Amino acid sequence: MTALRPGRRAFLKTAAVGAAAALLPRPALAQATSGRVVVIGGGFAGTTAARTLKRLDPRLAVTLVEANAQFTACPFSNEVIVGLRDLGDQQFGYDKVARDGVELRLASATGIDPQGRSVTLADGGRLSYDRLILAPGVDFRWDGLPGYTEATIERMPHAWKAGEQTLLLRRQLAAMSDGGLVVISAPANPYRCPPGPYERASLIAHYLKTTKPKSKIIILDAKDAFSKQRLFQNAWAALYPGLVEWVSLSSGGKVTSVDPGMMTLTTDFATHKAAVANVIPPQKAARIADLAGVSDRTGWCPIDPVTFASPLQPNIHVLGDAAIAGAMPKSAFAANAQAKACAAAVATLLVGGRPAEPRLINTCYSLVAPDYGITIAGVYHPVNGQLVDVEGAGGVSPLDAPASIRAQEASFANGWFNTLTAETFG
Amino acid sequence: MPRVLGQDPAGIVIAMREFRSGQRPATVMDRIAKGFTEDETQAIAAWLGAQKD
Ligand SMILES: Cc1cc2nc3c(=O)[nH]c(=O)nc-3n(C[C@H](O)[C@H](O)[C@H](O)COP(=O)(O)OP(=O)(O)OC[C@H]3O[C@@H](n4cnc5c(N)ncnc54)[C@H](O)[C@@H]3O)c2cc1C
Ligand code: HEM
Repeated sequence: MTALRPGRRAFLKTAAVGAAAALLPRPALAQATSGRVVVIGGGFAGTTAARTLKRLDPRLAVTLVEANAQFTACPFSNEVIVGLRDLGDQQFGYDKVARDGVELRLASATGIDPQGRSVTLADGGRLSYDRLILAPGVDFRWDGLPGYTEATIERMPHAWKAGEQTLLLRRQLAAMSDGGLVVISAPANPYRCPPGPYERASLIAHYLKTTKPKSKIIILDAKDAFSKQRLFQNAWAALYPGLVEWVSLSSGGKVTSVDPGMMTLTTDFATHKAAVANVIPPQKAARIADLAGVSDRTGWCPIDPVTFASPLQPNIHVLGDAAIAGAMPKSAFAANAQAKACAAAVATLLVGGRPAEPRLINTCYSLVAPDYGITIAGVYHPVNGQLVDVEGAGGVSPLDAPASIRAQEASFANGWFNTLTAETFG
Repeated sequence: MPRVLGQDPAGIVIAMREFRSGQRPATVMDRIAKGFTEDETQAIAAWLGAQKD
């Protein structure tokens, strides 16, 4: 296998390499008895965890529980919204996962009994486990924004879980007449994909500039700062002057209610009438985490930074967007890296070993135009029970990089996606 | 494109050292390499070098 280069499968293999490298020489594994691991959620975290476990110890019985037969990836779905990509390019099946010896169970998990160590499924099935890995992603807080309910997402799509919603927002933008106002409502932290709303605004601006130049886009924000902010704002000024307006929390950006019938979004200061409204709702760990008793008052799940074990329930580990992973953002790349570290820890725990401290990497690419990419990277390690940044590492692309570097990062972004999805789904 | 998995660990260690010092042109590897010490890099490189397709 291949170079540590974008477009190649190798570089992600190293995303949690510390943990895997530390695990492999352990003689304990050679004398392992088998154990049963159930993984709930076949997204970036869960699918990676299931496959990695099987690879680390083929004698483990690993079951992956996933509600849908086909996974639709969110990374790069902003490109689908503006017609630069097809939704089909975002979709992945579980054939390879099953071929790796992971038992795939297509069903929704509806209950968990931490004491009895069993999972109940919507189809009436029950699975018992030695260790449970929960990687269910996010749910929206339907009580978090007055006026915004499940019944109104057709009028004001969130497009924050990729699929039909992505296509709906795309159709609404395509149908909008030149001169229309696009409004994005961005939530407070934490939420899935911190740079996502701003990448979306950038690509919509690109679309408007090239096809509907009299139009405008406003981002109404519930916060005062955001990921890669200066890079985004510099790019907007250079590429889309006058087209993108960002209204911060302290300038009255927080949307306090919406009226989907009237297509209005209201803040403490003004009411905005939108031609197209994209409401990114406040979020929490998906519901199964509440049912398992592993989410706390914040709605998210605390974890141990070495094993990803929940401090709230025995034998349950939480990964990906659902977890409170300290300095790590809620990204697909982070989910994949955490899954490898957690799989190594679980395989070690099942044979009575002591898991090694992982060193985790995250890299998030954002496109501000098809040929203009920017990144934020970080390296993380456990300190005092938290995943924190390794000092001196990570950070964002340089503010003063030439166009050639932005173009290079845009093309590396494609390699990043291909590598990540191939690593996860095969 | 050079292959790094299954490649000579010494080459990976040198590349990482150059990424850290800024001698080797990079878009992100400089920021990533700075998160690993020389010892950690050697461990990872040895592990990578031992991987097969
Ligand atoms: C617009 C957008 C752009 C993004 N861009 C990027 C990017 O460029 N780079 C990046 O790294 N990240 C990006 N992200 C973030 C990324 O999508 C998430 O961080 C990632 O999907 C998290 O992975 P996960 O495994 O935790 O959850 P998910 O990928 O959401 O997977 C959770 C899975 O669990 C299943 N599930 C949930 N509950 C149950 C249940 N009870 N029973 C059975 N199955 C269940 C769901 O069906 C789902 O398949 C983006 C997100 C958005 C919205
Ligand atoms: C997991 C996140 C990683 C990402 C996203 C990543 C990405 C990249 C990219 C984009 C390049 C091209 C140089 C650049 O533009 O910066 C590269 C090269 C390289 N990477 Fe990584 N990398 C990752 C992890 C690692 C790790 C952990 C190692 C080794 C310890 C490593 C070793 C290398 C080497 C040796 C090269 C040079 C390849 C060559 O030119 O011969 N990478 N990587």
